[in-house]
Amino acid sequence: MEPPKIWRERKERYLGIGIMCEDCKKKNFPKTRICPDCGSENVKPYKIAERGTLKYFTQIMNTGDELVFNTPYVVGLVELEDGIKVTAQIVDCNFKELKKGMKLEQTFRVIARNGKEGLIKYGFKFRPI
Amino acid sequence: MSNEVYIIGTGQTRFGEFFDLNIGDLASEAVSKAIENAGIGKNEIGTLFIGSTVSNSLSQSSIGGICTRSCSLSSNAYRIESGNASGAAAFHHAFLSIKSGLYDVVAVLGIDKLSDYVQNGTIEKILASSIDYQWEYEMGATLTGLYSFLTQAHMEKYGTTLEQLAYIPTKNHQNGVLNPKAQYRYSIPIEKFLNAKRIADPIGRFDIATPCDGAAAIILASERYIENKKPHSYKVKILSSAVGSDTLALQHREKLTELKATKIAANDAYHKAKLTASDINVAEVHDSHPIGEILAIEDLGLVLKGEGGKTSVEGLTALNGKITVNPSGGLKARGDPFGATGIAQLIEIVEQIRGNAGKRQVNDVQYGLTQNVMGTGVMSYVSILGRGEN
Repeated sequence: MEPPKIWRERKERYLGIGIMCEDCKKKNFPKTRICPDCGSENVKPYKIAERGTLKYFTQIMNTGDELVFNTPYVVGLVELEDGIKVTAQIVDCNFKELKKGMKLEQTFRVIARNGKEGLIKYGFKFRPI
Repeated sequence: MSNEVYIIGTGQTRFGEFFDLNIGDLASEAVSKAIENAGIGKNEIGTLFIGSTVSNSLSQSSIGGICTRSCSLSSNAYRIESGNASGAAAFHHAFLSIKSGLYDVVAVLGIDKLSDYVQNGTIEKILASSIDYQWEYEMGATLTGLYSFLTQAHMEKYGTTLEQLAYIPTKNHQNGVLNPKAQYRYSIPIEKFLNAKRIADPIGRFDIATPCDGAAAIILASERYIENKKPHSYKVKILSSAVGSDTLALQHREKLTELKATKIAANDAYHKAKLTASDINVAEVHDSHPIGEILAIEDLGLVLKGEGGKTSVEGLTALNGKITVNPSGGLKARGDPFGATGIAQLIEIVEQIRGNAGKRQVNDVQYGLTQNVMGTGVMSYVSILGRGEN
């Protein structure tokens, strides 16, 4: 985990800032310099919705180094109230309690750890409302 | 002159765990066998295209020089990366290099060495490099986790069942028994797949192809070269090599019930080969996860959309079924050294067309197809091969 990368992604990870295109009005997350839908440079920062519904989810047993400390954990594809979809962990509930279509809200959590003494990365996860 | 491209030689190591062999050893075995099979001289090779996934994330990303030295080649070399489809991507570029008229003979090598790395750690991180690393992997998803979403979407829309999904690796292991190059030459009863622990529900721990070591090489030649030199080995014609693309992250796709990249590549490949899906006798497809093969056969048009699971269980895709799918054992039984997989798929089709596939030989093969997928379908490569007389 590289410090400049964590710093660079702070608005997206900590605040959920994506973009909205002033021309085609489409919203996108994560941010891009130009609109991925119409190519316009006329984009402005946009804060994604904090609530959504659970589309798909699974329980991860095997994962990469930085996330192993957290296994088993649940990851889901969440459709936010503004139509944007994000992949994120689902917390504060058991895997067996989760149901497709469940209402969720964003919550700020530890995302990854680089060993016991390394950097801690924060970002958003979701929990049932 | 139409400038057709032919495969004139193939060579492959066995796939598996080879703790005493390095990248150079594996490359040397595959390339030497391919050169011998083609009956050409080393100095005739214009350039070497290498499809490799992993060296990017580790210490030696430039493996061109390693491979040329180990193979005692004096040509230049390019390393091409396209995730798990790096082999097919290298083949595509090798095809283009001859099609363009720049070269007459080129070698293409698919290679990866994964037994050095541990599962539940480094391997998942390597696989994460072919999904959206920042906004899928770092958020908690893994390649298998995302394939779980694709599986769920298919089960929900088309009623595909766990039994149908478990049939895919069961069938591929039965085929793998007959393949001397396969890592796993034994069959596994369907109950083993169904009763296994779920590692990303509904995907079980035995459902997934195993990352391993291996190298596979192909020698390509132009029509002009073949007419002048007439090498001994039976030539196979590349009727088309096509690629399609989609978004990197699943969250940016409209639907998860199809692989759009495969559909695009397949349509282009059929069009360029002047064939339809019904002409294909044998196919090697990307069955890294059971849903991968179901999506592949549907999106390649080999079966009706939504019926991939049902028709597989009915035996349509079994060895010498209506269309044989993964006679080699697929990624599942052959083992999956990422970059080598795409080339091994092509070699299997070449062997089937040449009639050299031994006990897994499909009757009367005219046309064969390969499909190799990067990540969850961000890039998909489809190639169609046919008999050299065409």
